[in-house]
Amino acid sequence: MAVDETARNYTHPLYDTLLAAPGLNVLAGSVDQLLTWGLKNSLWIFPMATSCCGIEFMAASASRVDLDRMGTIPRATPRQADVMVVAGTITVKMAPRVKKLWDQMPEPKWCVAMGSCAISGDFYRDLYPTVPGIDTVIPVDVYIPGCPPNPEAVMAGMLRLQEKIALVRQGLFPPHGSSKEDRPETAKMANPAVRRLLDPARDAAITAHQVTLAGTPSPDTVDSPPLPVDASTAGSADRDLEALLRDRFGVTEFPKDAPPLVDAAFHVELARTLRDRGFRQYVTCVASHWPGDPETFEVATVLRSTGSGSQLAAWRVRVAAGEPVDSLCGVFAGADWQEREQFDLVGLRFAGHPDLRRVMMPEDYVGHPLRRDFASDAPCAPWR
Amino acid sequence: MHWLLWSVVIITVLMTTTAWALWLERKLAARMGSRLGPTMVGRHGLLQPIADLLKLLQKEDILPEAADGALFNLAPILTAVFAIATVAVVPFGEGVIAADLDIGVLWVLAFGGLMVIPVWMAGWASNNKFALLGGMRAVAQAVSYEVPLVLASMVPVILAGSMSMTDIVHYQQQHSWIALWPTLPGLPAFLLFLLASLAESNRIPFDIPEAESELVAGVSTEYTGMKFGLFYMAEYIHTLVSSAIGAALFLGGWSGPFAPGLHWMLLKTLGLFVFIYVVRWTLLRFRQDQLMRLAWVWLVPMGLVLVFMAAVVVVWGGA
Amino acid sequence: MSAPQPQHRIELAVHEGEGDLMLVNFGPQHPSTHGVFRIKLLLDGEIVVKAVPYPGFLHRGVEKLAERLTFTQLGPIVDKNDYIAPMTNEQAIFMAFEKLLGIEVPRRARWMRTLFAELQRVASHLLWLGTFALDLGGALGGGATVFLYCFRERELVLDLFEEVTGARFHYNTHTMGGNRHDLPAGYAQKVHATLDVIAARLVEYEHLTSTNRIFDVRTRGVGTISSELALGLGLTGPVLRASGVDHDLRRDAPYGAYDEVPVNVMTETSGDCLARALVRIREMTESIRLARALIDGMPEGPICGAKAIKTPTQFKAASGQVYVGIETPRGELGTYVIAGGNERGAAPYRLKIRPPSYHAMSVLPYVLPGHMVSDVVAILGSLDPIMGEVDR
Repeated sequence: MAVDETARNYTHPLYDTLLAAPGLNVLAGSVDQLLTWGLKNSLWIFPMATSCCGIEFMAASASRVDLDRMGTIPRATPRQADVMVVAGTITVKMAPRVKKLWDQMPEPKWCVAMGSCAISGDFYRDLYPTVPGIDTVIPVDVYIPGCPPNPEAVMAGMLRLQEKIALVRQGLFPPHGSSKEDRPETAKMANPAVRRLLDPARDAAITAHQVTLAGTPSPDTVDSPPLPVDASTAGSADRDLEALLRDRFGVTEFPKDAPPLVDAAFHVELARTLRDRGFRQYVTCVASHWPGDPETFEVATVLRSTGSGSQLAAWRVRVAAGEPVDSLCGVFAGADWQEREQFDLVGLRFAGHPDLRRVMMPEDYVGHPLRRDFASDAPCAPWR
Repeated sequence: MHWLLWSVVIITVLMTTTAWALWLERKLAARMGSRLGPTMVGRHGLLQPIADLLKLLQKEDILPEAADGALFNLAPILTAVFAIATVAVVPFGEGVIAADLDIGVLWVLAFGGLMVIPVWMAGWASNNKFALLGGMRAVAQAVSYEVPLVLASMVPVILAGSMSMTDIVHYQQQHSWIALWPTLPGLPAFLLFLLASLAESNRIPFDIPEAESELVAGVSTEYTGMKFGLFYMAEYIHTLVSSAIGAALFLGGWSGPFAPGLHWMLLKTLGLFVFIYVVRWTLLRFRQDQLMRLAWVWLVPMGLVLVFMAAVVVVWGGA
Repeated sequence: MSAPQPQHRIELAVHEGEGDLMLVNFGPQHPSTHGVFRIKLLLDGEIVVKAVPYPGFLHRGVEKLAERLTFTQLGPIVDKNDYIAPMTNEQAIFMAFEKLLGIEVPRRARWMRTLFAELQRVASHLLWLGTFALDLGGALGGGATVFLYCFRERELVLDLFEEVTGARFHYNTHTMGGNRHDLPAGYAQKVHATLDVIAARLVEYEHLTSTNRIFDVRTRGVGTISSELALGLGLTGPVLRASGVDHDLRRDAPYGAYDEVPVNVMTETSGDCLARALVRIREMTESIRLARALIDGMPEGPICGAKAIKTPTQFKAASGQVYVGIETPRGELGTYVIAGGNERGAAPYRLKIRPPSYHAMSVLPYVLPGHMVSDVVAILGSLDPIMGEVDR
């Protein structure tokens, strides 16, 4: 996503007329000062608050720091805002929306990147779903560092923005937000060695290479076969569970450090049996990818009994790559979103799931990031 | 020609007052929330409204592509015109009135009622779903609350036997404030009027048309710059005028001990204005169906009973 | 409203014969979605006919990041998940790692963690109350006043944390086998003084909210979740307890110092927004009581049981699969960690965080149909979702 700089030199016709009128230089000068004063003392904020920084932004508007002192109020609609405060991590799913909201704001407008995620992507920077800094999407005027910045820092940043507005209006500063040309340190970010997926300049050969990379396990991630298994809680209920598993589901091994491994054919039946035995709360399911020979997937399911002396019941099923696991949606409604997430991130299909769509990644995303063969620390992860 | 002079003076004063009424509200809200409010722009932030105005004037004027241009541009202008028109019949003092109409009360109620048309216009013309929902809510609310508002205003009209604002104030000078005596239709009618005018000027707990936590910014979602500024200003003028009308109809207008005059009227108006904003920054918001139920199940029957009582007072209690 | 069913997609063509329906896109950027969350609403006038939620706008790939970091490095990373209650995030993940590696946590560290968790619960519920009032009363009204009051008190709790860890949030104070920072001198008095202030002001907030007539009509009977649905969906925490299920991991599967300091579990039976609000407001009072008891009975001793870890190879021995769930302000925050089978040894092979908010949000398609747009905001707020945790 390239930054569009052409629209950044907007001035209001009224302003132009005033300055162009002949013989009005002196008057225009003072009117200009007045208009600048108005502009910088009434900065209404559109809080693009996505995560932690949003909370500190709220704290900055609250009693102790009170951004309202300098006349800033948050507006819920971009149409009435002057400053977009990008507070929090921006993901590839969110970035087009941020751009759209930015375009909806009327000129003159400014952008403040608050916190390290908005500035550079922080430690999510190299990861598949995040944008490494909002200045790769929209031009930024002020950066407020911190993780998250204190409310005092937000106030200081807004005051810096006021200074900048005054300087820009006097022509002492470039009229637009920092762009790739202005800042050598962002130049690298905006022009990465490997272009992002949406960038038309991206080399098709790299994409093709990454496709193959994502599709085949790389040699250093081929591991020993999955570990032994068993329920992580100890106690009498466990022995009941063990007896049940041994008698009805033919489980023979009960490893000490992992849940027992059950035949995939019994998955739904076991869940239903346990639910009827009091494990009524669906806790979670965890799919994991085990490349190697043979390539397998494992799904661990955890249930819980409620009330005093709450117990966990956990088991695993293992399937070969390409085979689905039966969905538990018919037994527990909560399995719906959990299984969707595992499908999205690990790439395991659940047979009988009513709505197996992507949930975390955009619908048009290709690849399953939590597979072991998905490069986690590539400088520019595939599909970004 | 005094009416022309007064109208110029009143409109000028009104605009300036609106600006600082805004400042007053921001300070009040801040103090209620243990904040300071604007402090940096001018002494105690007194220049804040001026800065806001200058800023709004400089903003880009966006006409959404899919919007109905003519209606979209007309709506804020009409809103402001209607809001200012209501000021015409507000009596600020003996003879300090832009137009002392015989039908002053009717004029105010009619223009207050008309306000809903530009609001709906804006909601429709924006071609934005949140604005549309806000417009629909505004129409439903205005239509419902117009009825108790009219009924409550009829109590002083019946008691004074005139629809002229000046006559009503004169009546109160001769007898007593209608909110005080006759207490039975008077005081409840005053409270009913306050409630209904809160709803008419879209103030919490009746602010569902803008409801920014649900509808982003309601009808003004798509408006930028000064067009939004007009909506914003009209809202405050409406609240100010509602307070002034309430003061004139129920609290004796410019009458008061020692020296009757303009200052009493302004004091009473300000009192009601502050009351409306204290309520605004204290209460939460109703849901739409609850709002309608309140209007039609409680307030309208109550208004009818009050009008009947006023008639009873005039026939048997008066003279 | 008969038992609603989740609707997975909205297809307008299906509804053509049913009159004028309007599709409203609620989010991902909306003042009341508590972060970035999108709900597609199909409206009949103001009534919701269908609702399809779309999470994932803040998916940051924490679980992938965990694959390349060592166990100890993960503390500050998971802080950012549930950013309203970072202390409990750290506690959850390190409890799982300690169980996996068999590390004993000293008693003082367990008490300190529990104290922090309870203070965090107070701060988190205060923030919830403020934002919930904001949803009901708007940013330009009474809601904002309640919000400001709640934030004022939350700052006091953050000051307590800042004194121990040096950070307002994202503390990074839990570590393998205990805590990093010991309590400073005179901390007990400060905790008591702060809790005195908050306890006194909580009464005031009850007047502004739960005993307020408008609050009552806006929340009573709105967004009712039956206990059966709540259990099946895996709802936990205050949302589950408001539906009449008497379940709290602090009492039912004690960890930390909860086996020594008994917890009174707050429940309500009606399962509506009011019940959820009441449960949280009472939990604040209970947490204040617990925090007082914890700081008074704070044992002496070491605060970290593990030896300083010098090289990642010391984790090589780690293998196995462990699930640990703890009760955060939002419910059961679980950590499922698979270790070993990994060339790095020091990093988890697969880390799965089980976020309570993710399950809470999955209830939306069940409860939203039949309610009005205003109720959507109220229901969403009453679930207390944190998007960092929903999407991770």
